[in-house]
Amino acid sequence: MSAAMSGLALRSLRHRPRAAVATFLAVLLGTLLIGSFATLAESSGSASGADADTLVILGAVVGGWGSVIVLFSVASTVGITTTQRATEIGLLRTIGATPRQARRLIARETGAIAVAAAVLGALLAAVGGRALFELIRSGGLVSERTEHDAGPVSVAGAALLVLLVSAVAAGVAARRATRGPAAVVARESAGEQGRMRWWRVAIALLLIGYGLAMAVLTITVTAHDTDPYAAMSTSGSSSILVGVGLAVLAPVLLRWGAGPVRLLAGTSATAHLASYNTLRRAHLLAGVLAPVVVLTSAAVGTLMLVDIDQRTLPGGTADSDTINLLNNVVVGMVSLFAAIMVVNAFVATIAHRREELHRLRLLGATPHQVRGSVVAEAGVVAVVGVVLGTLAALTTVVPFAVARHEGVVPDGGLWLAPAVVAGVVALTVGSARGAVRGAVR
Amino acid sequence: MSDTALEVQDLTRTYGSGDNTVAALAGIDLAFRRGTFTAVMGPSGSGKSTFLSCAAGLDRPTRGRVLVGGTDVTDWDEERRTRLRRERIGFVFQGFHLLPYLSAVENVGLPSRLAGKRVDRERVRQLLDRVGLADRAHHLPGSLSGGQQQRVAIARALLTAPDVLLADEPTGALDSATARQVLGVLRGSVADLGQTVVMVTHDPVAASYADEVVFLVDGRVAGRMAHPTADAVAGQMAHLDELVSA
Repeated sequence: MSAAMSGLALRSLRHRPRAAVATFLAVLLGTLLIGSFATLAESSGSASGADADTLVILGAVVGGWGSVIVLFSVASTVGITTTQRATEIGLLRTIGATPRQARRLIARETGAIAVAAAVLGALLAAVGGRALFELIRSGGLVSERTEHDAGPVSVAGAALLVLLVSAVAAGVAARRATRGPAAVVARESAGEQGRMRWWRVAIALLLIGYGLAMAVLTITVTAHDTDPYAAMSTSGSSSILVGVGLAVLAPVLLRWGAGPVRLLAGTSATAHLASYNTLRRAHLLAGVLAPVVVLTSAAVGTLMLVDIDQRTLPGGTADSDTINLLNNVVVGMVSLFAAIMVVNAFVATIAHRREELHRLRLLGATPHQVRGSVVAEAGVVAVVGVVLGTLAALTTVVPFAVARHEGVVPDGGLWLAPAVVAGVVALTVGSARGAVRGAVR
Repeated sequence: MSDTALEVQDLTRTYGSGDNTVAALAGIDLAFRRGTFTAVMGPSGSGKSTFLSCAAGLDRPTRGRVLVGGTDVTDWDEERRTRLRRERIGFVFQGFHLLPYLSAVENVGLPSRLAGKRVDRERVRQLLDRVGLADRAHHLPGSLSGGQQQRVAIARALLTAPDVLLADEPTGALDSATARQVLGVLRGSVADLGQTVVMVTHDPVAASYADEVVFLVDGRVAGRMAHPTADAVAGQMAHLDELVSA
């Protein structure tokens, strides 16, 4: 029975290569990044003193953040592709597959992709780790005496970590897909509004609450610490935590946020369609909103954090190079994954809606109107996303600016926020445009 | 205004090329007068769907002409065909084809929106009332039954008072009681509004609501029947091969 499910899983994969690509990329890049930095941590074993500390911190921080991001992105891609297969899973169950078998099918599919991607990622990480080490040594973060000394242990460990995280993500998505009674007729309705589960709200509130608490702690306590980096260590992650928390609440926030944006959208047919779709099928577009929020909050928060740091501590300390490298790696990693997720989420939702968009054409909508409505939806998502993301970024920027005696508003680098926002909006609208171009001719 | 709502002349549609050529339509001539209800019947592969696609400008005929309201639309480009579908043709599909995120009243008003016109709320209300769904105006399709969804789709198709309403197996996904309601609504639009309806179906009961039945076999018109009854249509369907050889 189990072999049958595996066979089915492989065939089903061959049938939908597109859905596989996104998961594959997320796992591959995740393994590559975490693996590369893990080799640094392993190399610390043969290093001494300050060098060992630097290498361990680099490996641990990037590994920790990397795991969170990979979990988030794999969960979101697997979640999107699984939700779209409700009909197929319903069919399997009516012809006698147990929920357990259906879950196993999804798990096997994700597993096959993830293993292939993790193995390739680990091989690349072995090379990448060496290159990264050279870069760090030539940058003077560790002394010339320290050698790269990492075997297969660290990259394999990274690969296993990513696989474990992927398995958890697939398990959650599969459980959601097989909850409730079997029903073949996936009613394409607003009935699938996707009520928030209590644990989801709890996780979101926990993340947001933690981020806000750290922001308050920064202003009240760590701002007065003698170590200038104490404030950074408490406020640095707030923007990402609050951003991820808001992203978890994306379906609800999109429904709320779409209202005011609709007023600005006008009354054309495209605006009309786009506004109702974002309002009533927020659960579909939430998959896009989530990475947009995280991308904005992480990029604005961290870039402005680094900017304030460099302005207020021009000479820096012994650690500042390492810290800024870390900040930049984290922001780069978050941006890369979020960008992949935005593009992927659009491709997936448009593929899901192909039939519905064709229907509009039959009713007499021009291709221009159909594409326009999808791009307008992307616009609404982008606006709501950058507003929420910027709010989340404030939880890092404001406390840190206060801690470094610049006041509530930083003294410079204010252009960073609009620059990031412009980039994120361009990415969101651009990927919608790209995705719909192929679907509607 | 032409007396003929829809006319096809020598309508031919072939697929493939060379030895693999398959003729879905092998030159049919049909004219549908205004204010009539016609059922087009035939076995699978008889060309019913191709006929509808060509009539609606969704597919281009290989040969022959399509005239909507007396205007030859055969050689129109995609842009003009789109406008044609929007303004002069109403569509009702087997699968309802409502936009899932628009309420009944918004779905009915959609063709006007797409045409960039103001939605005539009073007319939308009247049409929903006509199909018996005035009290469901603000429901989303997901909370309507199949028959209710199809009646919303008919109201939508009637919005622009099109030259012709094309219905593709409109009762194919409905149970018989609900199907009768839907057919009654179509019949009523012909009787009360003077609407022209062309319905493709394989159900003799559905066909009996029409003024006339046209039988297609192998891409040709194989026969016609005026004032059809379900029994007569069923009998004819069972002996279509005789029509062809005759």
